[in-house]
Amino acid sequence: MLITDRRSRHVLAVCAAAAVLAGSLAACGAGKKDSGSSSSGSGGSTGGKPMTIGTTDKVVALDPAGSYDNGSLMLETQVYQYLMTIPPGGKTPQPDAAESCSFTTPTEYTCKMKPGLKFSNGDPLTAKDVAFTYTRIVKINDPNGPASLLANMVSATASDDTTVVFKLKNANDQTWPYIIGTSAGPLVDSKVFPADKLLADDKIIGSGQYKLGSYSKNNLVQLQANPNYAGAFKPKTADVTLKYYTQASNLKLDIQSGAIDVAWRSLTSTDIDSLRNASGVKVHTGPGGELRYMVFNFKTMPGGSDAQKRAVRRAVAYSVDRQSISDKVYKGTYKPAYSMIPDGLPGHVDAFKDEFGASPDKAKATSELQQAGIKTPVTLNLEYTTDHYGPSSDQEYNELKRQLEGTGLFKVNLQSTEFDTYSKERVADSYPIYQLGWFPDFPDGDNYVGPFLANNNFVHAHYCDADANGTPTGTNRPCDKDGVLPLLTAEETKTGDARTQAFAQIQAKLASGQLPYLPLLEGQQIAVARSNVTGVDETLDISFIFRFWMLSKS
Amino acid sequence: MATTTASGSLRTYLVTRLLLVIPMVWILVTLVFFVMRVIGDPISSAFGGRLPPDQIAIRKHNAGLDRPILTQYWDYLTGVVHGDFGTALTDNQRISHVLWVKGAATLELSFWALIVALIIGIPLGRVAARYRDRLPDVGLRLFAVLAYAMPVFFVGLLLKLLFAIKLGWLPASGRASTNVELAIQNVSPKTNIYIIDAILYGNTSYVVDVLKHAVLPAIALGLLVGGGFLRLVRVNLLQTLRADYVEAARARGVPERRVVRSHAFRNALIPVVTVMGLQVAALLGGAVLTEETFEWQGIGYTLAQYLINRDFIAVQGIVTAIAVIVAIMSFLIDVVAAVVDPRVRY
Repeated sequence: MLITDRRSRHVLAVCAAAAVLAGSLAACGAGKKDSGSSSSGSGGSTGGKPMTIGTTDKVVALDPAGSYDNGSLMLETQVYQYLMTIPPGGKTPQPDAAESCSFTTPTEYTCKMKPGLKFSNGDPLTAKDVAFTYTRIVKINDPNGPASLLANMVSATASDDTTVVFKLKNANDQTWPYIIGTSAGPLVDSKVFPADKLLADDKIIGSGQYKLGSYSKNNLVQLQANPNYAGAFKPKTADVTLKYYTQASNLKLDIQSGAIDVAWRSLTSTDIDSLRNASGVKVHTGPGGELRYMVFNFKTMPGGSDAQKRAVRRAVAYSVDRQSISDKVYKGTYKPAYSMIPDGLPGHVDAFKDEFGASPDKAKATSELQQAGIKTPVTLNLEYTTDHYGPSSDQEYNELKRQLEGTGLFKVNLQSTEFDTYSKERVADSYPIYQLGWFPDFPDGDNYVGPFLANNNFVHAHYCDADANGTPTGTNRPCDKDGVLPLLTAEETKTGDARTQAFAQIQAKLASGQLPYLPLLEGQQIAVARSNVTGVDETLDISFIFRFWMLSKS
Repeated sequence: MATTTASGSLRTYLVTRLLLVIPMVWILVTLVFFVMRVIGDPISSAFGGRLPPDQIAIRKHNAGLDRPILTQYWDYLTGVVHGDFGTALTDNQRISHVLWVKGAATLELSFWALIVALIIGIPLGRVAARYRDRLPDVGLRLFAVLAYAMPVFFVGLLLKLLFAIKLGWLPASGRASTNVELAIQNVSPKTNIYIIDAILYGNTSYVVDVLKHAVLPAIALGLLVGGGFLRLVRVNLLQTLRADYVEAARARGVPERRVVRSHAFRNALIPVVTVMGLQVAALLGGAVLTEETFEWQGIGYTLAQYLINRDFIAVQGIVTAIAVIVAIMSFLIDVVAAVVDPRVRY
């Protein structure tokens, strides 16, 4: 538009002057504090090209006492050390800050510290800090924190500068070495962290591979190599920046355009599928720990007797086609699950495949229902949640509906609920059959069966509400008559083959249809990286730890 | 004497208007507080289903939520007066800090969007009025309706598809490139308004980078408001063009272009100033969707995250702050309108 009047010309002149002033100020560097956008590596053992990682996982808190979620743990793992941790490619915890850890009595677990460990601020890391770490988690008991993971701990005490002793309630707890490598395990500096309240994110100090550089919560976090890190795994890249996204679509665009080097959790299956054919990027897949199940509420599921209900469960198990869901809905990002314990972990057996086969079997499903005297079609009220197990849940459950109704044996009423309501209604017997997912606390078989079968478990499916004499107990304890309790005790306290056998027997009982769970899918860890990034495949292991220190860029 | 009377009436108007802001803000704060309590207490909302009832009771007690509602209300009111909006339950951040950091981002986005809205609305409104009921007018009216009727996220998606993906001219999301964002976090004094921080940092390429990141979000949000401006300017200009003094100018033989430019246009803009105040609320509302679409980490984006996490302490604080900002902006716009248009004071 032609600018003709005097006022408009004045406005234009002011704008031009402002632009010139902005440029001049920019050229002068009026408020510059430092000269570079990225640090020089601050003493890390290696430099490497700076790297940017994108994620949609959010941080709740970086103080380990206030966080028990994937987003916080991802960052904590880079900044803190643990007494024990699972090394890359390993399956069992190995000493990290500890020199050795073992049971000194059935209820005492003792760790000797490595000498000369320091936090990034120069403070020595001693047994006193370790005892402080665990004690304060229990004391603070933050609702977002991991205190519940330490339920078996009576106390943690430092007998000297290098020895810490954990007193446990249950003897020979084989899960304890794993638990000290979970969200409850990052070691904190007792001189920096308050004993009774959380520390602000930007003030945290650890002794891990990295220390915090600049910190803008859930926006942009800069990690710099920790010059005081004395562990075995030195970082290959000294400068790592973590960029947060809300929309997976923006994460995908940025990895595709090269604005970031790695996209780690969580791209949609459609985006991943599309990126498999994109140039300049590579999709990396590793074993995942996440499982998805269909759960039957024993009180409200269809069937007039226990035998009929069991027949319905078995008929459903014969009717579902996991491979079809994996291919059609998840484009291979989830694979069929026939076990309560994921592939790759000790104790994994494809018990459900052995019992029901890999493909649907309509004849056997029909036979189960006929033998139990059930009229078909059986009406199934199937519920799933829209916003907790990924954006494809609706497609997944519509596919399940199609499969079940395709047999002619079932009429499925499919309903969905937002997760907050879902999580409350699920345990209030509102849903006869429903979706459930499990993200493990640690990669051990116990974490995949214990929480589902132990007393007062979180599922509340009314499995075995009566004790051996038929007296209702009012709790959700496992049936002694199925022999699950002794097997659980065996896997919790024994080692080696005895433990593996116990896992196998538990799963055989689960697959009989006597119990309320039907595993459907197993998630895979998927990271997308630019072609010049190395180390991604090495960190995508069963531990579910994404180790920034393994990544480098050529 | 006439000047004294005019300034006196302006002063009276401003004082009256300022005094009216206080009950307005008080009513807004009160409404927000009690509406949030009708939904339920914040602790149960955030942790219900995740913590046993006894734990929830302890936390409610620690947070003082088991005290009489009026006591809680008084404490909250006192806090707001002192700029304390509480602490978020889900991430333990002070809401005042969140408002300072994220509010700056929203302010920056709103500023750019307003610039776009004015650039679109005022000249195009003038063109539409000038060519009333002819092709340019019809086209521009259609454009205006589309601009404010299309959802912001849809416009944002289209813009991203075209300019970021298809043409590759502009970044798809964020407020700045990663290296720029890291660099300007070290600037001192830090304003959290990236264009200012980039200028203070002193690197021209960083300023350009920040501007490039602002273009698409500003257009997406600016169109929403600009469409309204366009129609408003057009209608007001048409009305002004029918005014007696304009007819008199025409009768004196003043050319039509000059009649529009020098006699009608400036007066037609007065209502736009008033409407700009009202549009602050629309901008903040539109910012929620724009910020989500473009990963622009402002107050709308943050509010959406807290809503998803059912953190009603944080939601209460942010909504209260937004209400206060809208009330204050409304007051400031009234001041400007009163200065520009003497009729407003009477």
